[in-house]
Amino acid sequence: MKVGIINLNSGNLLSMIAAIKKTGATTLVLDDPNDNVDVLVMPGQGRFGFICDQLDKNNWRNFILDWVNQGKKFIGICVGMQVLFDSSEENTSAKGLGLFSGTIEKLKHKKTPMVGWAQLDSKATFYQNQFVYFVNSYGVAHSEYCTASVNYGEPFCAIVEKDNVIGFQFHPEKSGDYGLEVLKKCL
Amino acid sequence: MSLVPRIIPCLDVANGRVVKGTNFKQLLDMGDPIELALKYQHQGADEIVFLDIKASVDKQASALAMVKKVAENLNIPFTVGGGIKVLEDVDKFFNAGADKVTLNTAAVENPELINQIANKYGSQSLIIAIDVNHESDDSLAIYTHGGSKKVPKPYQQWISEVVERGAGELLITAMHKDGTGSGFDLDLLQQADFPLPIIASGGANAPVDFLAAIEAGADAVLAAGIFHRDEYTVKQVKDYLINNNIKMRN
Repeated sequence: MKVGIINLNSGNLLSMIAAIKKTGATTLVLDDPNDNVDVLVMPGQGRFGFICDQLDKNNWRNFILDWVNQGKKFIGICVGMQVLFDSSEENTSAKGLGLFSGTIEKLKHKKTPMVGWAQLDSKATFYQNQFVYFVNSYGVAHSEYCTASVNYGEPFCAIVEKDNVIGFQFHPEKSGDYGLEVLKKCL
Repeated sequence: MSLVPRIIPCLDVANGRVVKGTNFKQLLDMGDPIELALKYQHQGADEIVFLDIKASVDKQASALAMVKKVAENLNIPFTVGGGIKVLEDVDKFFNAGADKVTLNTAAVENPELINQIANKYGSQSLIIAIDVNHESDDSLAIYTHGGSKKVPKPYQQWISEVVERGAGELLITAMHKDGTGSGFDLDLLQQADFPLPIIASGGANAPVDFLAAIEAGADAVLAAGIFHRDEYTVKQVKDYLINNNIKMRN
């Protein structure tokens, strides 16, 4: 299993590379689109608009849409999950990938960013009641593809899954041994 | 199901080794930082803080090598501090894989650095550490340089300023409690009604102290000696809290 990690210049990738390697896969950091991998992982930190700009700057946008259309596995993490949606309150003019419909909203809690461990609420036994690590100020309140949610002020989607695309609002690479299990399962 | 309180072991590092005691002449070797961090991660630590207490003396090369190694080995978040003076220092730590940085003296001497870090990396990446002392005249004074230099700035005003400038979390150490083993300063925590997470530090002697700090409003508790001396494991502290109806990651 060869995992391509999309480098959008949005922060350090060491932890992500190390976590994916711990699942037994090999990794390749991609500055530009590259077909020579089995799975694409898109980590993202920072502002929604910045990540959208990076998608355009390095010709990732159409490549990712084609990749997903071909039925290949795609994983978005944190802001990398948010840009799978249409838009965000954070940067209203920025255009997401639109693979899921909906707008990312500011979290409804007096303490933002949300930083820390929270327990997943899910119908899936693999997710239910597991603790994972979040670092975000925005989230998507509802999605028909939400498979696990978390409450911070109000509930938001922690995981969205549609066919070959999966998005994690939390950081599996920072979520201890359980986070590694999550990565292993979805790769 | 919201955020659960965090237990954060703190490792003081000098010359690439975990040390005990901040008296430079009497540093006791406590072991390898990676090994100790992995041990605490295994015990259920929610996060680890590394403070390079000799960073200003032995430059940053050893600290950066350590940070990179931590990022490759740990799968929980970690924070680094010590020796940060300018934004470039912060860039280096983040490039080496740190999740957050913590500032104390540098924030007081150059408050603009708080804005710069928050703007570039986001507030979630920045913990402002505040050493506060209950003075003999009952006032609260803040100190820098490892508690040796009093700052002519009122405690409350300084907190408002760092919040305004973009701090993501506050690490509050009650100097009058630190190392005394008499528990955290609960009054200080109860008064800490700020719009960001509070990490309580200084004074933990037993699991009951962690419980009191969390009940007083701390979002996280940082401790060093109690874990390094093997008096309690992180797991024992968490089990105690869970048995007292505090929801923790287990």
